[in-house]
Amino acid sequence: MTATIGHFALFLALCAAAWATLASWLSTVASGRGLQKSAEHGIYASFGAIVIAVLALEIALVTDDFRLDAVFHYSSVAQALPYKIGALWGSQAGSLLLWAFLLGGMASITVATNRTKNRALMPWVVTTLGIVLTFFLILVNVVASPFASGPMRADGVGLNPQLKNYWMMIHPPTLYLGYVGFTIPFAFAIASLASRRTGDIWFRTTRRWTIFAWFFLGTGILMGSYWAYIELGWGGYWAWDPVENASLMPWLTGTAFLHSVIIQEKKGMMKVWNVTLILLTFCLSIFGTFLTRSGIISSVHSFATSDIGPAFAWFLGIIFFGSLLLLILRLPDLATQARLESVLSREASFLFNNMVLVGIAATVLFLTTFPLISEAATGRKVTMGAPIFNIVNIPWALVLLFLIGVGPLIAWRKATAENLRRNFLLPALTGFWMFLLFVVLEGRAAAESLSGMGRALASLDAATFLDRLKAFYPPICFGLAAFVLATVVIEYSRAVAVRRRQYGENAALAFARLVGRNRRRWGGYVVHVGVVIVFVGIAASSAYRKETIELLEPGGTIRIDGYAMTYDGFRLEAVDDHVGAITELSIWQDGRFVGRLEAAQRWHPNMLFPELRASFHDALASRGGDPEAYRAKIQAVFAMISRLERTAGREVKTPSTEVAIHKSFALTAPQRFGEDFYVTPLGVDPVSGKANFRVFVNPLVNFLWIGGFVFVLGATICILPDSRERRRLEASMALEDRAAA
Amino acid sequence: MPAIDAAYETAARAILCDCGCHPQSVLECACSHAEEMREAIRAEAAAGKSAEAIVAGYVARSGESILVVPKAEGFNLLAWLGPGVGLVIAIVAVAALLRKWRREPPPAAAAAAPPPDEADLARLRRAIDGER
Repeated sequence: MTATIGHFALFLALCAAAWATLASWLSTVASGRGLQKSAEHGIYASFGAIVIAVLALEIALVTDDFRLDAVFHYSSVAQALPYKIGALWGSQAGSLLLWAFLLGGMASITVATNRTKNRALMPWVVTTLGIVLTFFLILVNVVASPFASGPMRADGVGLNPQLKNYWMMIHPPTLYLGYVGFTIPFAFAIASLASRRTGDIWFRTTRRWTIFAWFFLGTGILMGSYWAYIELGWGGYWAWDPVENASLMPWLTGTAFLHSVIIQEKKGMMKVWNVTLILLTFCLSIFGTFLTRSGIISSVHSFATSDIGPAFAWFLGIIFFGSLLLLILRLPDLATQARLESVLSREASFLFNNMVLVGIAATVLFLTTFPLISEAATGRKVTMGAPIFNIVNIPWALVLLFLIGVGPLIAWRKATAENLRRNFLLPALTGFWMFLLFVVLEGRAAAESLSGMGRALASLDAATFLDRLKAFYPPICFGLAAFVLATVVIEYSRAVAVRRRQYGENAALAFARLVGRNRRRWGGYVVHVGVVIVFVGIAASSAYRKETIELLEPGGTIRIDGYAMTYDGFRLEAVDDHVGAITELSIWQDGRFVGRLEAAQRWHPNMLFPELRASFHDALASRGGDPEAYRAKIQAVFAMISRLERTAGREVKTPSTEVAIHKSFALTAPQRFGEDFYVTPLGVDPVSGKANFRVFVNPLVNFLWIGGFVFVLGATICILPDSRERRRLEASMALEDRAAA
Repeated sequence: MPAIDAAYETAARAILCDCGCHPQSVLECACSHAEEMREAIRAEAAAGKSAEAIVAGYVARSGESILVVPKAEGFNLLAWLGPGVGLVIAIVAVAALLRKWRREPPPAAAAAAPPPDEADLARLRRAIDGER
């Protein structure tokens, strides 16, 4: 029943979206508002039908309707309710439905908020939105239906255990809000080109949409990193996995766009570039969805392999080349007189910032797709691991950090010596001393690297030179971070002082009013601070990480970097869909007891082996009874898995780990602030308890997540409604209407 | 012993753990598959094999994609050098753009603008106060 409702709802949604596209396109040539109104209703109707389809699939998931493939493969009777609900975006078809759902919702909001204004742009906006929506609805109707069904099955396979994590439940929708959100500014950009109204209305109207999409994409990336950190157990959070890269690329070009529109607003320059950037950002978003869901480059996220590849490739090609063609046709309309007085100016610094952001995005795109290029050209498949990404991207990122400090304070047009001295002397000194401090702290290592660099330079050995230079990356990063923070602090304190002098406000009120008056600017600074904190966290946790692997019997102790960890003992459990060995650990930091932790090794048995299924359920049933019998039954499951693995030719279990983390935030140990003591049990013997522990000390790693919160705060300030922005938009509209008349 | 450890570490750092988790070396990956591979590599190192020989054995069996990063030779040089070349191109392009922009003549209107009168200045001051 739910399947039938779902099929029909999706078909109706497709018809409505296709009609909206056609009617809206026709309304660009027809007179009267009739067709356009009908198109707008088509968007609403399509969204309504998608909502019904989503509800139908959710009902099927929650009520264990294993006739549906999307339920059978990604849910099971034992699965906890939140994961049943979240299984919607576990499947490829379901995640495409989520895309359509979010796009339908955003398109409806766009139509509702713009239908009475922006009359000239809206027909083209709705046409563009309609095309994208229709594409995704074709996918879920024809290519990958979330309602594909088979015979009723007793139980489902269930979600991959690594995905059963709180962050993994909210990370995909967050990321999708970002991917989908960029459709709105893209549609307005296309509309401005198509309607030849190439003024600044399109980006002023969509300013908050762009920040919204960029905000969610950024937050989604951080959530994904956090998930990887606590779930994958290798002590890190980013590995340049193709799917991570896929989400980073549109975020980078989106960031470049948010900055370069400021130049268009203030100077009327870079019109073509801005349209190009939003076009790229949208295409990279689609490409990101494609990479994530098609498994074309095998990676951690391609839990689904698919046949949506060709459809996506066609769509991406049409969108990209179609928009490019439109852009080329409209080049005469976009001609501006660009003029620059000095390379030391705000305009130039924005240009450099765009170069770096797009440069990183291009590098990541090139390296991510290189395995495909290589396979096509030479027939050999290669892997692009983290080291190759880091060669160029770390220097790029450090230059970016420098520009974050320079951009906001350097004067427009031409920076005078006075401007530079006033704004940058103190920050530059702060940064330099910070850099020097860390070089001195490194001591011998720094000296050795320096002499190595000298020798490499003398023998023209670029590879060795770059390798030696790495030792200086963390001090450079901390120096630049201090530089940027100093610029922000100075800027804020000066502006607050001016308000206090002029209006007699107290510091807190002056601060609040200041931010309220120009939210984008002052919120932007907060975002910058967040990014700097993230950079510091990345630099420290990758450069100064310590790790060890040791085999311990219960009672044994590991010592590392001032920490001691005693393995007190272990217990076994059989819950939900897995058996686990939970190790109990006591942690001492610098001789002080800081707490007890538990880290677990879990095996999720493959229930398609009948005897394993029976053994597991036997263990499950004896839970709460005699502890010795319970323990023996779990040991039997472990033993059976090990035995089957030697004989069976397929997967017998899916392993997963629950890491133990002690976070240090105590002010009594400031040198450890933001540090993690991180334990992964690599293997636990269920009988003797002998366990192989991998232990990391990750300094400042929590700065990543703290910086993330600051980023969220700043972006929220930026996105709040701003009356000044609204007035400017209204002025632009009035101007353009007059020009059109 | 140190030679064996060094061979093991070099080899394990170069070989990819093909478990489908993050694309990572056997040395870094935390899955049970990596654990088994580490044991195998350690055994080979203990048998006296050099890191190069261990890695070459893996490449011979599983192909080049078992390496975390491809060797910098042949077609792969494109991946190693491409980003650097891209960087140079970007710098040249931006420098050329800046030159072009700097050559543009200043807008004539700006030069000819009359000096502001008192009313204008008052309006501007109000606007600036509003901005703060």
